Amino acid sequence: MRRRRFLKIAAGAGVCAGPGMEAWLSDLYQTQGYSSNLSKVEARFYEKHPDREIECTLCPRNCKLGDKERGYCGVRENIGGTYYTLVYGKACAVHADPIEKKPFFHFLPGSRALSIATAGCNVNCKFCQNWEISQVRPEQIKHIDLPPKEVAKAASQNNCAVIAYTYSEPIVFYEYMFDTAVQARKKGIKNVVVTGAHINSEPLKKLIEVVDAIKIDLKSFSQDFYSQYVRGELQPVLDAIKVVAASPVWLEIVYLVIPTLNDQPLEIKKLCQWLAQEIGPDIPIHFSRFHPSYLLKNLPPTPVSTLEKARNIALAEGLNYCYIGNVPGHEAENTYCPQCHRITVRRRGYQIEDTNLKAGRCRFCQTQIPGIWQS
Amino acid sequence: MSGHSDLRSAVKTLFPFSHLIGIKINTLGGKKLSTQPETALSLAKTLENGGVKADNILIWDRSNRELRETGYSLKMNRKGIKIFGTDSQGIGYDRFLTSHLNIGSLFSNIQSKLIDSSISLAVLKDHGLAGVTAAMKNYFGAIHNPNKYHDNNCDPYIAELCDTAPVKNKHKLAILDAILVQYHRGPAFHPKWASEQRTLIFGSDPVAVDYTGWQTIEKLRIQVGLPPLAEEDRAPKYIRTAEKLGLGTANPEKINIIAEEI
Repeated sequence: MRRRRFLKIAAGAGVCAGPGMEAWLSDLYQTQGYSSNLSKVEARFYEKHPDREIECTLCPRNCKLGDKERGYCGVRENIGGTYYTLVYGKACAVHADPIEKKPFFHFLPGSRALSIATAGCNVNCKFCQNWEISQVRPEQIKHIDLPPKEVAKAASQNNCAVIAYTYSEPIVFYEYMFDTAVQARKKGIKNVVVTGAHINSEPLKKLIEVVDAIKIDLKSFSQDFYSQYVRGELQPVLDAIKVVAASPVWLEIVYLVIPTLNDQPLEIKKLCQWLAQEIGPDIPIHFSRFHPSYLLKNLPPTPVSTLEKARNIALAEGLNYCYIGNVPGHEAENTYCPQCHRITVRRRGYQIEDTNLKAGRCRFCQTQIPGIWQS
Repeated sequence: MSGHSDLRSAVKTLFPFSHLIGIKINTLGGKKLSTQPETALSLAKTLENGGVKADNILIWDRSNRELRETGYSLKMNRKGIKIFGTDSQGIGYDRFLTSHLNIGSLFSNIQSKLIDSSISLAVLKDHGLAGVTAAMKNYFGAIHNPNKYHDNNCDPYIAELCDTAPVKNKHKLAILDAILVQYHRGPAFHPKWASEQRTLIFGSDPVAVDYTGWQTIEKLRIQVGLPPLAEEDRAPKYIRTAEKLGLGTANPEKINIIAEEI
């Protein structure tokens, strides 16, 4: 029963294990069971202040906390003037997903990503799809003890070329993610991060030294939207996009299009202009379909026509790789060569049906298609 | 306060005797700065003496660990006064979100399902973010995600939480344990800025009670030369917001303080 519950939690996060993976998870549960303890590992980005107070410098919230208080994320606590992460090695969701599910379309297509998460998030999006793990405290959900070395080992044993830090907000389990990434690299496994990028530049710059790709959820191009529906700031996210884009780490952007809230053509046009000017035309952008969830259940799923309009705006603004997400079978799931307009990667849902790439070049016209195509 | 001189009649004005009464205490501050067992148990005994069955009294907070660390002995027996936390086996949080204005939270099953009437028995403290933590903020311990409501001096979140059905429909009495008041650098205990006031502040209006508590803290700060909370950009704005929501009054001219020395 308890094992079934854990798998349900994993399933709630949108996962689908292969048979080997499920056996591994089953063994893991049977040998250790769920952990009720939280970790007490010192956090890496904070300042100590007088009177046992601290200031967290991991994300732009810069939470100032007295003794016994937790940050906005709910997973980092000031205990006697020292700041601790409570979720180091405490995975609440573990599974193997296709990399396309993250989504990454230009990074090792067809590879399997061992995907892990802990509880917690440093924003509070009213449309969160995974709020049952992201918007809770770690003691409120089941988790298993899975230290960094074990994650890397599990990825290796389960034929996962990639470890993905995902589902909730990996920034809040920064130390766990960072140390796991270091262990993974020793085994030749790549690391990808799926994040809202509400992070300060110093920890971000450190992080990009140990990871290979980052997918940033840009939730809107309006501060009003960020204030009202995300409870965060837009500018730090834009800054983070620039930092990642200027690094060797592969970057893709997802924009969840929510009817009436962030689907205005002018907003999307400004966003695409900004991306084209600041980052360049080759950054992949995914316009994803919204489904009612969490605190936004009063809106319908995004009409496909709205997503198509957004994509057309992006193409008109000169972005070369514009996708539509959460609409399986749509032609905008494919990668098109910007030169000859033929399909270089044909997808259906999370499956790769066909590739017309050779050493990262279009098989038809030899145009270089940006991305990390081989490990 | 009730207009009655005998205890039984006074208790009856607030609680039907058939109600299960929850006494929401605050044990975040550890042994030194939490609702003391002596205070909570005395209140429970007073209710019992006033006609409430001991079986129908529940002293609670969010976790058994914090209750134990503060000196409470857990009691989950069917008979007698009960003491336990939301994290007790079989309790936990609601399955469905309560969504109201800016609030989206899972309530403790104690607050939403078990109890019929609620007393907020809070500790009066300075709070680095909210300005003041008192009876209304005490209900942060009744939801799963209080960490999401500490920005902008906890405003409007504290007020809006108190305006949700599980709180508003059950809250009957606010009591501030101001026996030892942390008037600066709260909510943690710092003896340098803690003052023995040996006071309990009672009221049926949680806004008036919090306002009165706030003024107590401001007076203590002035006495030692500390600036008003507003100068530190942490005036408890949520008290005015609660007044605007119709939860009570923060107008000193409308607050009738009846002081009694024991």
